[in-house]
Amino acid sequence: MNGKAAKWLARRIGGSLLLAFLVVTIVFFTLHLVPGDPAVLLLSTGGAAPSQEQVMRLRDKLGLDRPLIEQYWTFLSGIVQGDLGKSLQDDYPVASEIALRLPRTLELIFAAVIIGLAVGFPSGVKAAFGHGGWFDRIASGTAALLMAIPVFVVGTLLVLAFAVQLRWMPAGGFTPFSQDPVKHLTLLTLPALAIAKGLAATVFRMTKASVLDVMTRDHVRTARAKGLTPRRITMRHVVRNALSPVVTVVGLQIGTLLGGTVLVEYVFNWPGLSSPLIKAVEGRDYPMVAGIVLTISGLFLLINLIMDLLYAVLDPRVRP
Amino acid sequence: MLTRRSLIVGAASLPVLTRTAFAQKSANVLRYGLSAFPPNLNPWDNVGAAAGTIKLLVHRSLLAFDAKGNLRPELAESWSSDGKAWTFKLRQGVKFHNGDSFDAQDVKWSLEQIGAEKSTAYFKNQVAGLEKIEIVDPFTIRLVTKQPDVSLPLWFGNYNMFIISRNSQPGQPIGCGPYKIAATERGTSIELAANDKYYKPGFPKMKGIKFTVYADENLRMAALQSGDVDMIEYVPWQSMESVEKDSRLALDAKPGPFMCVLFNGSKGPCSDPRIRRAIGHAVKREDIVKAAFFGRGSALEGVPLVEGTPWWDPVLSKGWAYDPAKAKALLAEAGVPNGFNATMLATAQYGMHKDTAEVVQQHLAAVGINCELKLPDWSTRVSLGTTGQYEIAIHGLAADNNDPDGLSAIIDTSLSASHGRSFALPAPRTTDALKRGRAELDQAKRVEIYKEMQRACIEEAPMVGLAWRSQGYGYDKSVKGFTNIGGALSTSSGGLLEETYFG
Repeated sequence: MNGKAAKWLARRIGGSLLLAFLVVTIVFFTLHLVPGDPAVLLLSTGGAAPSQEQVMRLRDKLGLDRPLIEQYWTFLSGIVQGDLGKSLQDDYPVASEIALRLPRTLELIFAAVIIGLAVGFPSGVKAAFGHGGWFDRIASGTAALLMAIPVFVVGTLLVLAFAVQLRWMPAGGFTPFSQDPVKHLTLLTLPALAIAKGLAATVFRMTKASVLDVMTRDHVRTARAKGLTPRRITMRHVVRNALSPVVTVVGLQIGTLLGGTVLVEYVFNWPGLSSPLIKAVEGRDYPMVAGIVLTISGLFLLINLIMDLLYAVLDPRVRP
Repeated sequence: MLTRRSLIVGAASLPVLTRTAFAQKSANVLRYGLSAFPPNLNPWDNVGAAAGTIKLLVHRSLLAFDAKGNLRPELAESWSSDGKAWTFKLRQGVKFHNGDSFDAQDVKWSLEQIGAEKSTAYFKNQVAGLEKIEIVDPFTIRLVTKQPDVSLPLWFGNYNMFIISRNSQPGQPIGCGPYKIAATERGTSIELAANDKYYKPGFPKMKGIKFTVYADENLRMAALQSGDVDMIEYVPWQSMESVEKDSRLALDAKPGPFMCVLFNGSKGPCSDPRIRRAIGHAVKREDIVKAAFFGRGSALEGVPLVEGTPWWDPVLSKGWAYDPAKAKALLAEAGVPNGFNATMLATAQYGMHKDTAEVVQQHLAAVGINCELKLPDWSTRVSLGTTGQYEIAIHGLAADNNDPDGLSAIIDTSLSASHGRSFALPAPRTTDALKRGRAELDQAKRVEIYKEMQRACIEEAPMVGLAWRSQGYGYDKSVKGFTNIGGALSTSSGGLLEETYFG
């Protein structure tokens, strides 16, 4: 790597770190500005009416009576030392909670991407080749429908059909892979399908458009004129060239899916990162919210950084 | 190749395939759909009913509630009062989960932790108010109160008042309940295994209980219908009918918690009790029961005391009966014959709060009280309620127990500010009657005092009752021996899971 490239990389990483810092700061202060006292909420679970004295004691115990700027400083210095603090709800380390839950969210996204690609890409290619035919019409209609139906509706329908009516699948939940691999994968199927439906539709449309575009290009006409077999033309000259916009879309979608799994995880009781995030926001569990938001935004920035680097590798015009 | 014939064959095979559920019953392990993962399982902190259900199985207190809602012996075999103190005779031969033997020292130590200066226990104030905790002998303990307190034994039925081993370390309570925690999957499930050293022979009936959390009520319901779990709590009202109609399932639903109106007494028209009473007479309760609870509840037009208990009175239970003409007359008497504008605080986070508020808003508009709804998330609702930033608020909750004293946290407005009580609203006669009722040991006199309390409460209106709502448990018909206690104790029914078995 030359000096110029190293400088460019350092600038990109520095920018990402600065963005992460800004996100955390904004989240921290916004959360504290919103009404709601974690001590009151914790003591009021189940409709109970805690006394002022109980609230004061808990605030003291949780360190919430200290000045806001002092709390912020403690939080920031913790992050620098790799300590995200402890949950106000049960004293559990935030970093441990994230370490436990993040892999589950990533696994769900990974499974959805595999399904989305496996369904969307081949059907997109087939629809493009039979443009205007019955498969294209059905697939395009289905894709439009899948994109239009909200993910929680699809999720609920999947539960009603496969769990309640047919009773083929469990309604939702989670079993660790180490405990029961078959049950783990069974439980993964429905939520992954629910997430994959939008992705599959996007990949389908992108692939179809891209393949149609490539098919009209000169090099494909030349290949045909040369007398190459349709299979060879498809695989070597069309699909390969149509792939790059699809890859870009999938890359962008992974980032979006990080935030988009919230509803699906909720509907299917999949214990990923979203349920503690929702619970923490509802309970004003400041360290937990900040830790999870920092992780998600950090991952988002990391994906963006990797994409930038990849572009630079793939396309010499973007290189510094 | 997809042919018409293959489609028909496929469709015909569906009913055959549906007969076997994906999830099968495990041998003598009850699978229970819990509504929330407990924020923590500290034996003395109140962190909700879901935590309470698990704590009731892992720990034991001196007493517990039986299926009828009466106190029954647990770690204490008998209890009595001489007016100044309550004496508990303790059970011998009880072992904690770690093998330690139980005696009066454990009771004293637990109470001292609950009443300690930095304690965050639900019963901290009550226990700290005890004059003395005396160990008479290793199996007799005497709790001396500053003034007679008839409600003291009820403390020990609550799921935030357990006795743990004095050798427990902070954050690691050692209980002596029918079950032990065998495994926890954070945020997902908690598995309990039977305690083979449990002091009641033949109990618990199950080898274990697996609690799986289904926070979404529809998914919890789907899990019951699909056979993923054997039993669920908080059956959604809209699904109660389908549970009743399902030949495989049973529903045990009883009225328990209730909805009510709270007021800000520090400012505005609601500081006048006549206006509060007018609001009580202006709302047609049946509409709330229909709109918010799908008919699964009943009108509450008086102080929330359960029908059939000695305190309940047919006339007083209609103290704020629906009567728009009376409501208008009271408004006129209070000097606002044309009504007024006010803010009504509730939350959009829980449908029942929002739906109730909308119905109340309509009925109040009919007598001239125009309310602007404020429906923030629950956290903000709690904060605005505690600091009195509202004029009228809609709330839903349950009493501490089925004794009238269990209503103190809701109608004794001399207690500190809380979102669950009216704000800065003195109701001296109600408060005084509650205090006298607590100090009276004679049952007949207590009944009279609480009738007086109800009369005072209806006039002073520190809150106005709206509707009882049904609290339902749904389970597979093979689940036997479980009872929904009902009333304020519905959420304490989890303790009876020690008697539950597959039949």
